[in-house]
Amino acid sequence: MCKGLTTDEAKQLASIAVEASAKRGEKLFDEGAPGDSIIVVLEGKVDIVRSGQSLAQLGEGSVFGEMSLLGEGGKRTATATVADDVKMLKIDAKKFQGLLAKNDLAALKVVTNLAQVMSKRLLAMNDKLIESTKGKKDGLGEFQKILNDWSF
Amino acid sequence: MTSAEATAHYFKKAARIMDVGERIETLLAAPLREVKVQVSIELDNGEIRTFNGYRVQHDNARGPMKGGLRYHPLVDADETLSLASLMTWKTAVVNLPYGGAKGGICVDPTGLSSKELERLTRKFVDQIQDIIGPTRDIPAPDVNTNPQVMAWIMDQYSKYHGHSPAVVTGKPIDLYGSRGREAATGRGLLYIAREIARDVGLPVKGTRFAIQGFGNVGSHAARLIHEDGGIIVAVNDVNGGVKNPKGLDVPALFDHARKTGSVKGFNGGSPCGTEELLTCDCDVLIPAAMGGVLTKSVAAEVRAKIVLEGANAPCTPEADEVFEKRGVLVVPDILANAGGVTVSYFEWVQNLQHVTWDEDRVTTELEKLMREAYERVANISRTRKLPLRTSAYVLAIGRVGKATVLRGI
Repeated sequence: MCKGLTTDEAKQLASIAVEASAKRGEKLFDEGAPGDSIIVVLEGKVDIVRSGQSLAQLGEGSVFGEMSLLGEGGKRTATATVADDVKMLKIDAKKFQGLLAKNDLAALKVVTNLAQVMSKRLLAMNDKLIESTKGKKDGLGEFQKILNDWSF
Repeated sequence: MTSAEATAHYFKKAARIMDVGERIETLLAAPLREVKVQVSIELDNGEIRTFNGYRVQHDNARGPMKGGLRYHPLVDADETLSLASLMTWKTAVVNLPYGGAKGGICVDPTGLSSKELERLTRKFVDQIQDIIGPTRDIPAPDVNTNPQVMAWIMDQYSKYHGHSPAVVTGKPIDLYGSRGREAATGRGLLYIAREIARDVGLPVKGTRFAIQGFGNVGSHAARLIHEDGGIIVAVNDVNGGVKNPKGLDVPALFDHARKTGSVKGFNGGSPCGTEELLTCDCDVLIPAAMGGVLTKSVAAEVRAKIVLEGANAPCTPEADEVFEKRGVLVVPDILANAGGVTVSYFEWVQNLQHVTWDEDRVTTELEKLMREAYERVANISRTRKLPLRTSAYVLAIGRVGKATVLRGI
């Protein structure tokens, strides 16, 4: 997330970040709760679950909660639970938006990096989507339905 | 695009219109078995030569596999596979209880003596006898193979498996061959022409036909169409061609061809080149020689309203699109020239039942099957608003697909 930042820019960003830690099993936030921060995992692991379905397990260096910052409404779109004791960096969303409003270079670089992360996630999502639509027509049963529709 | 790629192209087009899904598409396109063998023989001069032989068995969901055996220097694994799949679709369109196969030997047979050809054929049978058979895979004549070659195959196979005339079709009449086999493809073309006539209001009688190729397919088509009252305005063969807008005297043309070995130089018309023939003023064009003669640019100049594909893949896919845009009706190879394999089927049936049909029975049954196939294809074309070729592939995929589903994987 902080790729390409100079030392000064990193310090600038650190000034709005707070280091925190949490124990295994602790909930960081619930799906639907107001989102007020982006979180960078420094150590440990975090499970991301939406509507009961596990989306990912994030480890060291991962960023999450970015949707609360960039998305509309600012609500958490998934639940984050600590899987392995974590140390993390919490960046306050309002303060970050303040930096953005001032055209702060560090904040802009971070947004660019976040956009890259999100575009990778979208790509993976597209692949999954294609795989799942393919699956629907894979069976002989589905094929038989198609053949019946064509009624030769 | 090669003719091999063309088959895959048409199959995919139909499969995507039916929306069968990628994995079913792969299931249907992939061959059951591809065999490559080395065929070594001793030539008459004592020299040893080794040739590559192939047999590709594409699909057997609908029955034993059926397809020709060709002797040609350009035979290879890819082309053989493509032609094998074409046989799967063709036998399905005519509703014969067969799957598709194809094979051949990469050899120039004109450089071999008859004895060498016999040794080559027998040696090839030695190497594939365990994968062919009356209920497995039944070869037939193709490019540069003839009834004599089929007789050798039958004899050699029978040495391993006992008397088995049904292992191969296209045999000589005197050795379990069927009457009407030689003229079968040409006759099938006539029956399709009659069906089309009914549909588009262009009766064979008085309609002007141009026929490219005067071999086994073209010559019989010309004779039968002439007997049906059609006007043959142009024909050609490898040596040259002849045209007459008022109609050629077909019996005299046959006399000339018998005497000289070619239609070239027939005095009942004026000389005519291949491209000139393909684009001449006629109602129905029958390309009955090589694949790929009707290219995009030639197709734009064709004046016929109907193209009957006597040969395999005479139209390139690009030409096919041009015809579709121009409203020229193309009757695809897998329907139009299926008369040959249909009478091969009759030969197999006669062999299995130890009976001999007279020619009337053969032609009556052939007409019935060709007519039914045309009606099914035309029906899909009408109701789904698809070209005849796509409709034929849809019908074939449907039939092969149903058999596959019923049998299970």
